[in-house]
Amino acid sequence: MSSFKDWALQYVLADDETAQSEIAKKAAKEIENTRASSASVGSWAASIQPWITITKQDDDQSDDDDDDSGSGDIIARAKALGFLADTLEALDKSLLRPEQVIRLVGFFGAMFSYDHKAGITASAKALRQLHAMKGFKPAVGVKMIEDVCKLKEDFKLQTAATRFEIYELFLSLIQDQSVNNELQDKYGTSSGFIVEILQLCQNERDPRNLMLWFKLLPIFLTEYSTSDEVTEEIFKAFSAYFPITLRNSATPIGITADDLKNAVRACFASHYKVAKLAFPFLIGKLDQGDAVTVSVKLDILKTIKACIDQYDNTQTSIVPHINKIWNSLKYEVRNGEVKETIDATLDVLRAIANRLDGTSTQKFDVSLLKNYIDTVVDDCRDDLANPTYTKQAGLLLMTVITTNIRAYTLESTAFVDIIRKNLRLPKSPSHTKDLLLLLNSTLKSRADLFKNRKQGHPEDEEAFKTEPSDHLVALYHDVYLPIWTGKSEATTPEVLKQVVQGLASLATQQTLRPDGQISLLVSRSVCSEICSLLTHTLTKGLALSQNDNSTDSAVEDEAVLALQAVVAAYTDGYAELVERAKAEIEKRDWTSPTKYTLNALRDILSRLAFIGCSRIPLNVALDGESPKTFKPLQHFLKLATTLHDLFPLSPLPTSEKESLANSYIISALHGGILHFRDACFEKFEPKVLEAYSGSDRNWLEEFKGLSKDWSHQLQREDGSSEVIIKEDDPEVYREFLRICLFIVRHLYREAAYGKQAPWSERVFAQAANLAALVVRSLDENLQKSCNLAQNAFNFFSPENLSPSGPSSIAPFRKLLILGILQGLRPAAMAELYAPQGIAETFMCDTSRMATVLLAVGEIRGTICAVLANKYKGGQSTFDPESETMKRVLSFWGEQIKTATTTDDTDPAIFEVYNTVAMHTLAGACARQDKNVLALVPILHEAIASPGPNGAIVARTIGGLVKTNELLSPENHAVVKRFYKQWAYTHFAKPLYDLALPTGDEDTAFAAGRYTTAILSLVSNCPFEVYQEDLGHLVRLLITALNNSSASGDITQPQVATSLEVLVEILANEPEALKGHLKAIITAGMKTYEEAAKNTSKGNVARALASVRKLTLQLLGAIPKKFDERHLLAYALPMQRTLAKASGDKSREARKVALLARENWAKVV
Amino acid sequence: MAKSDLDNANPTVLSVSQLPSRNLAKGHVRKGPDSKYDHILFPKQWWAGSSLNTDPSVWTSDEDEDDDLTLATEEPIDEQEIYGENYDPSSCTYLLSTISDPEHPVTLGQIAVVRLDDIHLSPSPAERLDPNTLTNVEVDLTPTVNHCSLATVIGLAVRVRLENALPPNYRIVVRMKDGSHAQDDQVNKQLGDKERVAAALENDTLKGIIEKMLETCV
Repeated sequence: MSSFKDWALQYVLADDETAQSEIAKKAAKEIENTRASSASVGSWAASIQPWITITKQDDDQSDDDDDDSGSGDIIARAKALGFLADTLEALDKSLLRPEQVIRLVGFFGAMFSYDHKAGITASAKALRQLHAMKGFKPAVGVKMIEDVCKLKEDFKLQTAATRFEIYELFLSLIQDQSVNNELQDKYGTSSGFIVEILQLCQNERDPRNLMLWFKLLPIFLTEYSTSDEVTEEIFKAFSAYFPITLRNSATPIGITADDLKNAVRACFASHYKVAKLAFPFLIGKLDQGDAVTVSVKLDILKTIKACIDQYDNTQTSIVPHINKIWNSLKYEVRNGEVKETIDATLDVLRAIANRLDGTSTQKFDVSLLKNYIDTVVDDCRDDLANPTYTKQAGLLLMTVITTNIRAYTLESTAFVDIIRKNLRLPKSPSHTKDLLLLLNSTLKSRADLFKNRKQGHPEDEEAFKTEPSDHLVALYHDVYLPIWTGKSEATTPEVLKQVVQGLASLATQQTLRPDGQISLLVSRSVCSEICSLLTHTLTKGLALSQNDNSTDSAVEDEAVLALQAVVAAYTDGYAELVERAKAEIEKRDWTSPTKYTLNALRDILSRLAFIGCSRIPLNVALDGESPKTFKPLQHFLKLATTLHDLFPLSPLPTSEKESLANSYIISALHGGILHFRDACFEKFEPKVLEAYSGSDRNWLEEFKGLSKDWSHQLQREDGSSEVIIKEDDPEVYREFLRICLFIVRHLYREAAYGKQAPWSERVFAQAANLAALVVRSLDENLQKSCNLAQNAFNFFSPENLSPSGPSSIAPFRKLLILGILQGLRPAAMAELYAPQGIAETFMCDTSRMATVLLAVGEIRGTICAVLANKYKGGQSTFDPESETMKRVLSFWGEQIKTATTTDDTDPAIFEVYNTVAMHTLAGACARQDKNVLALVPILHEAIASPGPNGAIVARTIGGLVKTNELLSPENHAVVKRFYKQWAYTHFAKPLYDLALPTGDEDTAFAAGRYTTAILSLVSNCPFEVYQEDLGHLVRLLITALNNSSASGDITQPQVATSLEVLVEILANEPEALKGHLKAIITAGMKTYEEAAKNTSKGNVARALASVRKLTLQLLGAIPKKFDERHLLAYALPMQRTLAKASGDKSREARKVALLARENWAKVV
Repeated sequence: MAKSDLDNANPTVLSVSQLPSRNLAKGHVRKGPDSKYDHILFPKQWWAGSSLNTDPSVWTSDEDEDDDLTLATEEPIDEQEIYGENYDPSSCTYLLSTISDPEHPVTLGQIAVVRLDDIHLSPSPAERLDPNTLTNVEVDLTPTVNHCSLATVIGLAVRVRLENALPPNYRIVVRMKDGSHAQDDQVNKQLGDKERVAAALENDTLKGIIEKMLETCV
């Protein structure tokens, strides 16, 4: 048994906590081993005897002398007691018998009377452990509390950590139901123990302890029935802290001011019996006027709201205080300026209305709510006529009235009536605007209430069936229409915008019919009138001339949004709108329109597409009509068919400009598809849509059985023959894609085999872009099952495929092929690559090429690029030997070789050949096709060949690595990550050595060509690709600049290219230029002067301007990258040149010059 | 500067969008809710991958002009350019309107000290065919109050800015507008005297103030 004494000694001597807890565990184990025999517990308790005995003397002494001489012993004593507490913590909680617990409680409890210096922390901790023991009896709990309270005044003197232990002890005891009962029994409602605890703990200031204290106080209120006096004492205990703040402390304690605020707030809101104290107290604080800061005000308002939300017994706790709260709070909104406090105040008012309404299960008597709202209305009514307060008063009224459905049904009629009266005699335009804003917000809130009608009491939903609605219906004729038609100078665009928003809000209001069916609130005729009013705003631009159309574009944009909302609910409106617009468009002659009319056409068409297609329509019946068959795609179909009927607006355009009207129609269709796709993506998960973007059927086969105006039929049909799709079924998306493909098919057949006149390059391009979007959206299986790859070449008309092959297609029509191919996935194109198949024939087709324009060659080339890029050969493909691409590439290799070694090919024709060849190569390059490498020597030889064709190759070889939108993952292209590095290494790197001038005439010519080729490649690569060759490259660049400025021919493309690359290098690695600064600056200044001297016009002028701008960019960036000491020598001449340059002919160049001048001005 | 030193504590301040600008005068740019896909529906490049310049004559409207075309257009320096171009910071320069006021955190354009109408070029830009013609620039300043003690400083800043930004063939005259300042004669004399201007710029305090004012010019 002496071991306890040893452990106690070790514990007292030990310094770190882990060692101490180890020792305590050993002692606990020992007690457990003896099953807590009296002997072992006794000797364990006695083990601290040596320290305790001294205590008494010490204590007496220090009391007498009032000095701290015994402090060493106090520490030891505290530790000794800690030994006991820790042992209890480690001990099995079921072990100690009740009488042992009582004895220990007696011992530790006594400490609170005798040993205020050393005993408290450990004792409190020990008591808490004892409370957790199985042998604990509730009566003992009462004794614990009484014992602890004996600390009295000395409580304050304890450290924060000690007090923390005591709070923990209190909390665990008070929360214990059995102790609770015992306390109630003993003290009754006088609750003497509470008073004692309150006295003990008053003046607490430590944040951590306060958090516990604020947890303790609500328990007194909720768990104990206290007398009024005690309740008041408790209230004083926490209200004394309000409003609470926290000083910033250097040592973070993990508690924020907000934690404290919330804790105090929870005390206020804990029980309704403090209501009669809390509300007057809080209102009193609020009414202190300017002395209250915003954050305190917010704290008060949030606390009031918490009380209102949480107090039970609405009748007695809240109702008596409502008037007082209202009278104080209304000024916060009426005269308030800070948004946060206004919002918080409105939250309180809303909370009151909600409490007075009742809960989702039980409604209170209607008079409660009605009285409250009447008070608010009485106070605010007059303010609505006063422009200064309209907004605020309206806000108050609207907030209260639209809080819940009952409040709304009770009072909305009166409220709307007041606004209406005021709108008849507005004091100013901004008064009108404010009133309209109120009206619109009320409508919006009503829509929200309607939407959430099922969330509250069942009576709420019923209320909508009998809701008075005439006052809303009348708004159109009484309010909105007169303001709109009575437009005058004073009607600002802001007012008109409000009217438009209000109209939209009104037309989309829904209501419940007595049979439970949802329908629109206003009648068909009103909806239709609203639609036509708004439509007129949009079509006006077409009908009027530029000078007569004064409608603010912001109002027009608002009308677009309004119509978008209206036609989603009132679905018949869209057809009306489209027909009106169509009639308006058809009225005009589109053969040679002005720019203004064309823009008006573009706007109206683009808006039509947005209005109808950017939302999937809702299935809402019209008031008084039986529900019709509903089709989610009806707007889209209406747009598509109408645009189809309108095309072509300009049947015989003679230029691109005259065909713009035609192109805008296709754009609108394209826009409609984009918007509807967005609407689907907004409504459904992308994953869901992915599953619905395919089908195992061949849609094109199905289309064959349909007549040409299938989409017209669909649009006209009442839905009897097709499967009815609901608006929330993702099948909508599949059906949408099907119709889109039908449209593409139809459009392609028209373009390829119909009248050719309306189709210009631009219109073809627009149709191709549309097709690309649709094809891209289809999944791989569908692309395959519809055989889209083949259809790209026969334009969805296998029967019409001309015998002479695809090359006989009219030049720009080839864009249609591109449209389909660019959207296809490589796997869906596999069939094309069979040996001698369509792809090979197309890529190697040179017939008629001698007669085509370069622009047409460019289209051909781009198609070849896509074909070459999406190629895949090898086992189990259509090209098992992987020969197709090899043949194509070697064919072009041969072509280039022949054209550059003989003089047979005219450069103008070769330019077209070369374009196609380079594009084909570029497509293969992106895929890093090894067959491309076979062309490296051929191209290198071609570049150095003496004829003009070699120059063409050198200049255009950069096309191999040129960034092309078609070669992007979005277009399902196969693009290797490092293909540019790969191409650069093979095509450009070997040329560096050859490009350096040697002085020899023969090699000088080839070197010049090689330089051009390198520049062409480098300028199309990102900096990282050529980074390691900077040494060589910079020398080449400077030589190129010097040569051209010396020869005076600075319009050569390589000048601009060199400058671009130099600017790039300067931005990324200026160090590489450091050794060449003199050369670069001299060459730059010379180049600029040469370019400034040149007075050519046209394309040359454009090239010159870009050279000037680039030179200034380069020169201007230099001072930012180098130290002044490197630049001082050039500063003066440079400043002179730049001063002259700031008078450059081109404004763009002047801007750059100005920046350059500023940079160089700093070099002194 | 302490608040009590302000000559005019409450000048009328225009918002940036109210200032005269070349772009506002041009045709409207579509920005409604339906213009979300304009870059796809009305692309500059008609079809993806086209690298050649398609017939530029189709694009007669200003807003459709592509960059190369603006670059090549010959536009002599005009009043608007001296005042300050449009307020899209990515693509413009400001000569005078964005100089900061020495006492308020606003620009000279915003408090209408510098006005577009009070900038005069002779010969006018239209008559100036050769960019090297000797050209006079006259800028009249309007102080916010007629006893403004900082009028000279503002005039000096405007002068410095113009000298640093205009080519050498421009002769610069900066004055107070007639009757806009109680001592306009004296101020004008000071601003017109090269020696006094040069001497003023030797003064470090003054130079500091002017540099601070010019910081907001980009």
